[in-house]
Amino acid sequence: MAHLTRTLPKRLFRPIPTPFIHQTNQLSTTTRPTTTTTHLTTPRPNTVPHQNQRPYHSTLHARLPDHTYTNSQTAILSAALDFVPTTGFTLESLTHGARSAGFLDVSVQLLPRREFDLILFWLASRRGLLRSKVEDGLFTRLAAEAGKELSVDEKVKALVLERLKLNKDVKGVWQDALAQMSLLANIPLSLTELHALSSDILTLAGDDAVDASWYTRRLAVAGIYASSEVVMTRDPTAELVETAAFVERRFEDSRAVKEKIGTVGEIVGFGWNTAIGLGRSWGMKI
Amino acid sequence: MSTMSTRSAWRALHYSAKRRAFQPTTAYRCFSCSTRSNEQKPEQDRMTHFGFTNVPESEKESRVGAVFSSVAASYDRMNDLMSLGIHRLWKDHFVRSLNPGACLPALTADQRGWNILDIAGGTGDIAFRMLDHATNVNHDMDTRVTISDINADMLAEGRKRSLDTPYYNTSRLSFVEANAEHMPHIPDNSVDLYTVVFGIRNFTDKQAALNEAFRVLKPGGVFACMEFSKVDNPVLDGIYKRWNFSAIPLIGQVVAGDRDSYQYLVESIERFPSQEEFRGMIQKAGFLIPGQGYENLTGGIAAIHKGIKPRA
Repeated sequence: MAHLTRTLPKRLFRPIPTPFIHQTNQLSTTTRPTTTTTHLTTPRPNTVPHQNQRPYHSTLHARLPDHTYTNSQTAILSAALDFVPTTGFTLESLTHGARSAGFLDVSVQLLPRREFDLILFWLASRRGLLRSKVEDGLFTRLAAEAGKELSVDEKVKALVLERLKLNKDVKGVWQDALAQMSLLANIPLSLTELHALSSDILTLAGDDAVDASWYTRRLAVAGIYASSEVVMTRDPTAELVETAAFVERRFEDSRAVKEKIGTVGEIVGFGWNTAIGLGRSWGMKI
Repeated sequence: MSTMSTRSAWRALHYSAKRRAFQPTTAYRCFSCSTRSNEQKPEQDRMTHFGFTNVPESEKESRVGAVFSSVAASYDRMNDLMSLGIHRLWKDHFVRSLNPGACLPALTADQRGWNILDIAGGTGDIAFRMLDHATNVNHDMDTRVTISDINADMLAEGRKRSLDTPYYNTSRLSFVEANAEHMPHIPDNSVDLYTVVFGIRNFTDKQAALNEAFRVLKPGGVFACMEFSKVDNPVLDGIYKRWNFSAIPLIGQVVAGDRDSYQYLVESIERFPSQEEFRGMIQKAGFLIPGQGYENLTGGIAAIHKGIKPRA
């Protein structure tokens, strides 16, 4: 069930210990009892509520792995990925992979979902790659190119494009993969993976909303990513220029929709307040 | 009239088979020395189950032998009646999921066709299906199957049926009479795929058979087993149990003229370990378990278990 846990929003990817953790750390150091007592008697003022980042997840535990395949499975799958651009997400690629990893043809039985396991492994490993790109300083590079600090929205857009570029090599066979993912039995796991990706994108971009807007934004990112994936499979340009333009337009759309919803909300709120005020002025007990 | 005569012929066959198999070994009685009888005691005391009754381990093999000698010829017809034809779907699914046969051109001599060992496959049900799949789907003419069974009557039935297949008298099909718990004629690390379909239930020592499977398989080779299992849905389970204990012995009596053998059959199904327990036994033999480790068929009436021998 590890993949389900992964779908939870991960607000924090940098381990920043909260004062509470500092406190427990100090409590556990029994060698210096004097500091502990002074700390306990005179608690420091709590500064956390004014900080923007508040962790939902424990900073004391490592992040869950991107996939839950065993060593032998990973060996076959990663060897099979080399064959995907030519033979696609097929049993053939898997068998090639098993052979080059030193297994037998029959060893593909290690993967009960066959081709779909290959697709899931591709998705999960690319997701991990995206994360390591960010950790290697993707944003600092982009900020230097743009000459200014990137906003959260710009970061999200950059990550979506970066993720789409990781699919460049398998562009020709990606429609088959999309077809496999849309099979009835495969839909739940595909959606889980899409959610995990959009969570990751928002987290990596530094979106630290702690209300329902996180979920709507994640839904929007998932929708934009899924639709641009389809566009990517039909994009003839090598550097995915058309896809980039498509992503740009979709973000514009989502911004417009958000503005409109915001405006409508304001109008409704104003109307409601007016109605209440009017009712009270007529002597109604509201 | 003809049914009556076949039935009486059946009865005669099955009684003769039973007489042959049930030669009672007289207990060793020696009044002058006590050592021999003491030595024998622990061997006799080790009990195993034969259906719902407990029998000494040494006796189970011959008892199971009697059952299958008795049912050999009517095996397929009875399977059809007992499972309402579903066993064919299960077997087809089993073979398709294994996808036997090399689907890519061989680069080394070792990759030329698979070496498949079909344990307890006397009548050739699974073996012929696998050869058909390898030939017709993967266009692999090199994959070979060795049918191994402990029971000569079942093997004879398989030989008879192989006459109608294109594999008769070719190097792709061979028959061996052997006990799956001990197969010294098969070298270590020599088999790609080891299958046992509706057979492991009848083994005296299942763990020994699993260990032997682990020995003969190549690293990376696959152990695949289809066996009756536990139904998880209580409603379906109720219907299934009622069918098992009321209908099947009756069908056995009417069609095959042998109630006791089919009574044993349903009792042995009842005694077989659950999916999780059996998966644990496969793991204990050293196999890797892919994913959940088993796949339920028709709500768990049967289950396909798989294990992969790890690469050293």
